Amino acid sequence: MSGHSSWPEWVYIGVVVALLCYVGAEAWNIERIVEHVPADAEIIKVTGQQWLWTFEHEDGTKEIGELHLEKGKAYKFEITSKDVIHSFNIHDYVVLLDAVPGRVNTVWFSPTEAGEYDIQCREYCGLIHYNMRGTLIVEDKGA
Amino acid sequence: MKAIIGLGMVLGLLMILPAIQYALAAGDEPGEYLDRRVEIWGLFYRLMIVAFTVGTVVSGMIVWLVLRFRESNPKANPTSYEESGTW
Repeated sequence: MSGHSSWPEWVYIGVVVALLCYVGAEAWNIERIVEHVPADAEIIKVTGQQWLWTFEHEDGTKEIGELHLEKGKAYKFEITSKDVIHSFNIHDYVVLLDAVPGRVNTVWFSPTEAGEYDIQCREYCGLIHYNMRGTLIVEDKGA
Repeated sequence: MKAIIGLGMVLGLLMILPAIQYALAAGDEPGEYLDRRVEIWGLFYRLMIVAFTVGTVVSGMIVWLVLRFRESNPKANPTSYEESGTW
């Protein structure tokens, strides 16, 4: 293969490496930005158990199966489980994190629109997994 | 050839460095309010553009190779192996 020009191969390799670097850097960047919790975020303790979700607000108020939040405010969820692995999901706000026994996982978000949204378990956790649901109720400030 | 590779490396660095700098800085700043949906779906769509671009280029090149180097192509030349009959 002497005299064979290899510049197309180098261009090809260069483009692929550049794209891979872009993909990695961009994903890493967004992950860091999304995970950075605002200082004034209210902490909500979320506990999953077969087959319901329990929520505890900072003031000690507890809710089961329903979560009332205020529009425009930041909330940090501290998620754990009492029995098996569950996964806490609010599909409409792209919140998804595993609830693992003996471990606290955190995720934060700020609801932007008032209304009702589904909360559901996204990790198969037993017979009634399909019905391990809850409702997120986002209310306007002062409502 | 070297100039093209050099230019490619410089352009690559110019693209990567700001992203790294921005990412590192995000760890030091106080968290800002943002819409996860916008950030995450935006990332998804950008990466899908990259994925489909790569897919188009790779599959396009394979199609071109198959058509260009098929035996029945009028432009096809026998390889040195085929010409000499030795393998």
